[in-house]
Amino acid sequence: MKAPLAGIALMLGLACTARTGAATAPPLPALPPYAGAYQPSGVDEMGWWREDDERERKLAASTLVIPDEKLTAYARQALCNTVGEDRCRSVRIYILREPTFNASMSPNGTMRIHSGLFLRVHNEAELGAILGHEFGHFESRHGVNHFKAHRSSTDVLAWAAVLASISLTYQVRQTYHDLELSIYGSFFRFGRNQEREADGLGIAYLNNSSLKPQAAAQVWQNVMAEAEASARSKGLKKPNFNRIAFTASHPPDGERAATLSALASPDGATRDDGAARYRAALAPWMPLFLDDQVKLNDFGASDYLIQSLAADGWTAGLWAARGDLYRTRGHQRDLVNAADFYARAIALDPALADAHRGLGLSLLKTGQPSEGLKALRTYLDLKPAATDAGMIRMMLPQEVTAQ
Amino acid sequence: MTYHRPALALALILSAATPAPAHKLRLQGQAVAVAGSTLSVTPSRDWNSLSRKPGKNAESWTLDGEQLNEITFFGGVPAGSPLVKERSKKQAPLPKFTGTTLLVEVPELLEGTYRTYKNSGAFQLLSTQPGPFLGKPGVVFTYAFTDEDELTRKGEGRAAIIDGKLYMITYEAPSLHFFDRSVEEFHRIAESAKL
Repeated sequence: MKAPLAGIALMLGLACTARTGAATAPPLPALPPYAGAYQPSGVDEMGWWREDDERERKLAASTLVIPDEKLTAYARQALCNTVGEDRCRSVRIYILREPTFNASMSPNGTMRIHSGLFLRVHNEAELGAILGHEFGHFESRHGVNHFKAHRSSTDVLAWAAVLASISLTYQVRQTYHDLELSIYGSFFRFGRNQEREADGLGIAYLNNSSLKPQAAAQVWQNVMAEAEASARSKGLKKPNFNRIAFTASHPPDGERAATLSALASPDGATRDDGAARYRAALAPWMPLFLDDQVKLNDFGASDYLIQSLAADGWTAGLWAARGDLYRTRGHQRDLVNAADFYARAIALDPALADAHRGLGLSLLKTGQPSEGLKALRTYLDLKPAATDAGMIRMMLPQEVTAQ
Repeated sequence: MTYHRPALALALILSAATPAPAHKLRLQGQAVAVAGSTLSVTPSRDWNSLSRKPGKNAESWTLDGEQLNEITFFGGVPAGSPLVKERSKKQAPLPKFTGTTLLVEVPELLEGTYRTYKNSGAFQLLSTQPGPFLGKPGVVFTYAFTDEDELTRKGEGRAAIIDGKLYMITYEAPSLHFFDRSVEEFHRIAESAKL
């Protein structure tokens, strides 16, 4: 009795493994012909879309969505420039104020972009690489396939549990345990292979666009450098960028960078990466996004991001953000650096009120009150209605505030 | 799943063995020391003190549940400590109150803490004014933030730095209805605070 049961369980498991474990490496990607506006079919997909429509209704009313028409229009333009005008028509873009590196796309055509992404890509081609990857999930209908794979995996396990419980011995339990590991393992691998497929589609869009496809690999190089900088400043071990954890949802960053770099069309290397357009469109939002990042209290990552943004030239905003970063950490050596960074910001833009405030506070704390108070006075002159004006005014000597 | 049954049974036994978390009632008109410190307040109505303490030097009170209204007392945070307990000292460190932190920077300290601790992407300081707290020059500030549950909350805080330690009381509630309903209670508690 025991042996047949174990056999059945194993066969069920193998059937599922075969179903969910797709090929490991994608072939060189070719762009599939565009099928036009897609409508869901089948009860699973229709149900998914209905739920997704409901989620989108909530999302549209969310306070976290940045209601800036221009910025959203630019993100859409970057997507259209990557995947083509006909494809991008089916997408609605929502930009969320959330300082993490992420974007996602759901089956009904809702694209969510986290504001943290904009600090981590430096040009339109890099932005397009990420948005194209997400669009790849949408075009290949990964959402519903992932759902189905998950359902068949758990179905097999549920039935196997029923069968195993008929004759619960040590051996049957062991077989069930092995089956469970193997099914979960292949389910997670299925998810990673979907990501690989989306990476392949993403780079195929870029290869066919007017943007530089080499940017895709650059994004992952930057992400790895940032993770390394963050780990270094926290005193952690250097992360391993090629290790695949059992439950990993995505392939490792190292593999993605290598694959994307190999799949980028060499003819595209001379194409424009849209850096100037990107900088112009993001300029009004950079100070806010930088501020959100600095306040995350991840010193290494923030310092890396500021310096990588400054590769195109330091601006007053970047110096001021770096000053805030060092002043917030607050060691004495940081305060001296912070004062220096604020001074550089002021040299570039003397009207940057917050830099005067930061400079004043840093100088006060490093034993230079007279200079510090002078900077705070300038801050109040530039921004008399600042939210903390009352507090700063109290710190100034009376004869000065009396004027 | 049969596989998880032993774990579930074990969890049930463990939960039965340990006493349920005991929230305490803070009675109207009775002075009570909070946050394991000498800071004491006299509530003008009954409040619930939550047994879950957000940090070593902190304590939370609520009327209708912490998501609807919450007062947090910080009783003498020493230099070098974060405001609340860090989830992971290495992976997600929180900003620290330091010996050089100025009163005007206290609202920024709370902002930095919330952005990491509460994963609040949108936090806005609305005002920072001088105002007495515990009979010493202090800071009174207001703020608004959107939490992970996408509900916009308003907050008000009062703080003072006394002998190198930070004393602070904050009040937070959803901006819709709840904040305004109990803000006066908070003011009375803040004014009753003594060291």
